[in-house]
Amino acid sequence: MADIRVEHLHKEFGTGVEKVVALDDVNLDVSGHVFVSVVGPSGCGKSTLLNVLTGIENPTRGKVEITHEGRDAFPGYVFQSPRLLPWRSVMDNLIFVHKDRSKETRERCRRYLGMVGLEDRGSKYPGELSGGMQQRVGIARAFSTEPDVLFMDEPFSHLDAITARSLRRELHDMWKATKKTVLFVTHDVGEAVELSNRIVVFAKGGTIKDDITVDLPFPRDPADQDVAIAKADVLRKFEELDLIAT
Amino acid sequence: MAVAAASRPAAWPARIIRSRRTARFLFPLVVLAVWQLAFMFLETAVLPSPGKVLSFMWDEVRMDTLSRHTLYQSFAISLGRLIVGFLIALAIGLVIGLLMGLVRPIEYFLYDVVVVVLAVPSLVWALITGLLFGLGNNAPIVTVIGVGIPFVILNVLEGVKNSPKELFDMSRAFRVPRRRVVRHVLLPSLMPFFFAALRYGFANGWKGLVLAEVFASTNGAGWTIRYWYDAHRAQGVLGYALFFVLFALILERGVFERVSRYVFRWRPQAQLEVVEEAVPEAKLKVATVEAERMAADRGTG
Amino acid sequence: MAKTLDASPDQLQKITHGQETRVAARKKRLRAVKRWGWRIAGYVFFLLLWDVASGTLMSDRLLVPPAGVAREIGEIFQSGDLWMHLSSTLQKIGIGFTLAFFLGTTIGLLTQSRWWEAFFKDWVTSTMTTPGLVYALVVGVIFGFSPIGPIVAIVFASFSYVTVNVAEGIRALPKDLIDMSKAFRVSPGSRLRNVIFPHLAPYLFTGVRYGFSIAWKVTVLTEVFASNKGIGFIMRVEFQLFSMAGLLAWISIFFILMLFLEKGILQFIEQRFFRWRQEVKLA
Repeated sequence: MADIRVEHLHKEFGTGVEKVVALDDVNLDVSGHVFVSVVGPSGCGKSTLLNVLTGIENPTRGKVEITHEGRDAFPGYVFQSPRLLPWRSVMDNLIFVHKDRSKETRERCRRYLGMVGLEDRGSKYPGELSGGMQQRVGIARAFSTEPDVLFMDEPFSHLDAITARSLRRELHDMWKATKKTVLFVTHDVGEAVELSNRIVVFAKGGTIKDDITVDLPFPRDPADQDVAIAKADVLRKFEELDLIAT
Repeated sequence: MAVAAASRPAAWPARIIRSRRTARFLFPLVVLAVWQLAFMFLETAVLPSPGKVLSFMWDEVRMDTLSRHTLYQSFAISLGRLIVGFLIALAIGLVIGLLMGLVRPIEYFLYDVVVVVLAVPSLVWALITGLLFGLGNNAPIVTVIGVGIPFVILNVLEGVKNSPKELFDMSRAFRVPRRRVVRHVLLPSLMPFFFAALRYGFANGWKGLVLAEVFASTNGAGWTIRYWYDAHRAQGVLGYALFFVLFALILERGVFERVSRYVFRWRPQAQLEVVEEAVPEAKLKVATVEAERMAADRGTG
Repeated sequence: MAKTLDASPDQLQKITHGQETRVAARKKRLRAVKRWGWRIAGYVFFLLLWDVASGTLMSDRLLVPPAGVAREIGEIFQSGDLWMHLSSTLQKIGIGFTLAFFLGTTIGLLTQSRWWEAFFKDWVTSTMTTPGLVYALVVGVIFGFSPIGPIVAIVFASFSYVTVNVAEGIRALPKDLIDMSKAFRVSPGSRLRNVIFPHLAPYLFTGVRYGFSIAWKVTVLTEVFASNKGIGFIMRVEFQLFSMAGLLAWISIFFILMLFLEKGILQFIEQRFFRWRQEVKLA
């Protein structure tokens, strides 16, 4: 579990005429065992937010603090594409992001591979797995570091609907079992409603437009009426905020 | 985790925008400078100064030469042999390549032999044809044929195998007349392979040709550089070497690159990379791997 | 097969499936047999053609039959000349290509920009289109019979292949994987070992493969014109003696050795290195 505190965050790319504002005065507070979705149209700066939060990119202005019990929190990351090393076996891909290759590390990696149902694929190369399996490896990799906070960037958007659905279920179970703080970026409102306690709505220009709490019991079935109503509510809010392109 | 403090490599120093034309122009100047320095500091008796070589080259260009033929005659003789040889190679290679692409047993029968022939160094061609045919036009021309044929065969074969089936199906679905299909689908799809055959076959034929001229001829560009070598005229050897470089550059940049740009004008620019285009074996390697993969696909499908 | 009658549908399906794969396997084997049959027929045909042509189409002194060449190869092996010439050639290649490799890699690492690519563009084109003869004669006239000549020729002719490929590899560095490892706080050393080097390896190999094959040919050519040792030198001697048998024998040795080094050793190392790619292809 971790506390994420973001204050007056700005991120700009380029200079002069080519300047692009990706994040404009973003403020965000997340703490505890929560699943927060960041929803918005493509190109609104969601991924940039994650990149800044994880340290892949530096902010132009503003402050980002991610702590766990007073110390710097250790992050995990699941990307849109699996981003596996094609030249390392599945197991070695997991070990790669660990500080050591000790027996415990291996054991832990094997356990998380098991959690995504791939315990017998450890010696395969990523190229030998299907897209869904590769994304599973990516998820296992992120969990295997036992991060304090987990960032996910549209992890299911490249998968077919059926695979995505079963992976969402697995993700939910793992989130419940491991009590992580999760920040989940998506453009799929249904996915956000199904998975999260809280939905942060991003708009073009990189600003937060709304912050919705979803108070429904888990597990949520997208076919369930309450879930469907919640989804419709969020979509209505989108319309009110004029986020949907006409 | 204080992200703001996380270390990151420093931003690239603002790069001074220098044109690539300058870079290309600079290269020969740098070579000349290094050469001049080497000449001044090494003080070997045999390394001629750039000035001496350039003045030799200037004499040659003005057709003032001690050799039996002028620069233009020598290169014209060689180029003539190259063209004759390569046209023959093209004709033979086209037939064999088409047969191999269309009839499976013929492909198995000949493929390995073609690959072996492709790997024969041009020196070997030159020496063998030299012994077989003696002095004259035959050895150089046969060398060009021998070097050129495998390039033509493999590329034609590859072209046939890569014919875009889905585009043919599409044309059939739209009831496109056969002539238009040939012109707009078949020929353009064969073009890259034909062009690769032309380019690499020609370049490698050239290398073989000049060697064959050294061993089995009494004229031509290859023979002339050997003439200066035997006369121990370092400036003659270096001067002719530079003529060879210039000749190749003119052929490559002036002819092939232009034709290539025209033939492939529909392609995105990125595909005209130096490495991919300039290394013949790479193309062939890719071609063979592709061919094997496709054979496997067809086998299981 | 009688057992299949009382098997459950599930098992039945498995068994028919097994039969199918067996049939497919048999078909595949048949195809392989046919393929190899034609292949071997190709070899045999051309050897026979050679054998018949010598003595009928041309005098067997000019076109020596395969058996004659084989006899000559045997004699060369016995005479002990082989090792002297071979080691001389291999030494030059070894030293020259090692130098070319390091020079090429260093310049490749330095020259990542399009500007440097433009700078070297004409150089690369020239080294690839300039006949080996030209290298051989230039170093011959400058260095004479000294072994420095071939080494210089190798370095000049082959380093640009390495350079271009290394530069290309660096330009294509997988930014997504590097970002990923940064996000997981992977140390720079581990990043180098696990991300950057495996990514660059195929580029290095391509450079080595082409550079090496050029180095071979240039070395032998320089020996033809300016050396008193080595495979190229002995080939010229046989040529001047009009000994087709000797020439073909040495050519065969040269050829087999070249194929062995290029196709055998390099490809073996490559396959070890790129198992992850191989299996991707099979999958």
